[in-house]
Amino acid sequence: MSHCDDDELSIIALGEPASSADDAHLQECSRCRSRLDQLTAVVGSARSITDDDRPITPPADVWAGITAELGLTGTGTVTSLDAARRRRGGRTWAIAGAAAAVGLVLGGIVTAGVLKPPSSAQVLAQASLAPIADSGFAGTAVVEQRDGHAVLRVQVPDLPQVEDGYYEVWMATPDTTTMVAIGTMNPGEDATFDLPAGMDMTSFPVVDVSVEHFDGNTEHSAVSVVRGQLQA
Amino acid sequence: MHTEMSGPAPVAATDLGERRVREDDDAVVAARFRAGDDDALAVAYQRWSSLVYTTAMRATGNTADAADITQAVFVSAWRGHHGFDPQKGSLPGWLMSITRRRVADHWEERSREGRRVSAVAATEPDEASGPSADLVVDRVLLADELERLGEPQRRIIELAFFQDLTHQQIASLLNLPLGTVKSHIRRSLDRLRMRLEVDGVAL
Repeated sequence: MSHCDDDELSIIALGEPASSADDAHLQECSRCRSRLDQLTAVVGSARSITDDDRPITPPADVWAGITAELGLTGTGTVTSLDAARRRRGGRTWAIAGAAAAVGLVLGGIVTAGVLKPPSSAQVLAQASLAPIADSGFAGTAVVEQRDGHAVLRVQVPDLPQVEDGYYEVWMATPDTTTMVAIGTMNPGEDATFDLPAGMDMTSFPVVDVSVEHFDGNTEHSAVSVVRGQLQA
Repeated sequence: MHTEMSGPAPVAATDLGERRVREDDDAVVAARFRAGDDDALAVAYQRWSSLVYTTAMRATGNTADAADITQAVFVSAWRGHHGFDPQKGSLPGWLMSITRRRVADHWEERSREGRRVSAVAATEPDEASGPSADLVVDRVLLADELERLGEPQRRIIELAFFQDLTHQQIASLLNLPLGTVKSHIRRSLDRLRMRLEVDGVAL
């Protein structure tokens, strides 16, 4: 006698009556019976589902708690930025007191760099920007003291045009939970930004370049192409 | 990935992050997770934290406890990533087994607290035990898999599960051949069964 058809076993598992042939076969065949039992168990569990069993996303601070507890800094890219984006609603980024001028905070002078500063500028810190998510791009960021104020210069060669979007440069805390939007950046150009006076740059040493949409949303898209940490 | 990004050709911004996550299939994420790549932790969290959180939420009935359990699950999974063996099971399955243990710990702690309180109050201890975490895990996985079914499979299986319609009734309601409805039901049930086998409590 041939085994029960799988289509029929599924229908039986749902509670429809078995044909007399299938019924007789199931009495004798342990293979078909155990298959039916499995399917019946699935149907039983599935029928007990309620709306509350639908997966819901945990609150954003759970991921922040995980990275903090594990001491991970900025490497878990997608979701940590996503969490940061949601947390930014609170506008929690720290602006240091007026005394903490950028030059005083960072102090050191580093002259080597891929980006050559104009002769009047003094390099305060720089970073190699590494690809995020295998984006294939890399770049450099340099903070210079120029005419009494701090300037961030960012260079990412070969960036493609973004359809319906643009690149934005951010500075973030080491754990990327708090970030400051610095400005937009066009592919094929070095971007230069005057940094806000009084911003404590040691608190925001991470330079990040993200892809943003023309959607009016001022928060980080959670899609980054390069990132690196400034060092004096 | 992103070979399309390494040239100067325009790319749709929406593709950059999303596609990366989808393209890595679960096995790749699992291998990277075991190797200690913390990017894989982020991807694993993005993919499976909702399963962990919802299970914890259903088992404890409390958002704060669910958040604590979710954090504890991913922290201990990451610290013990060497203990995860891709040969023995899926990464979400492993995360769910840690979730079950954490839920059990949660109730054990509650019951200890209950005993302490009742010893002081000299009353009978409260029964402090939650619903079986195993059943909760299965329901959450099945709810997740149901949402992944395409149409008309999802509509068919929901009519069969929750409206108790026979396959003939479903066929005439949706104006589909009987054989089509039957084979959709069979394939969907098989998919649900596989999901429990791979990620859930072994049947």
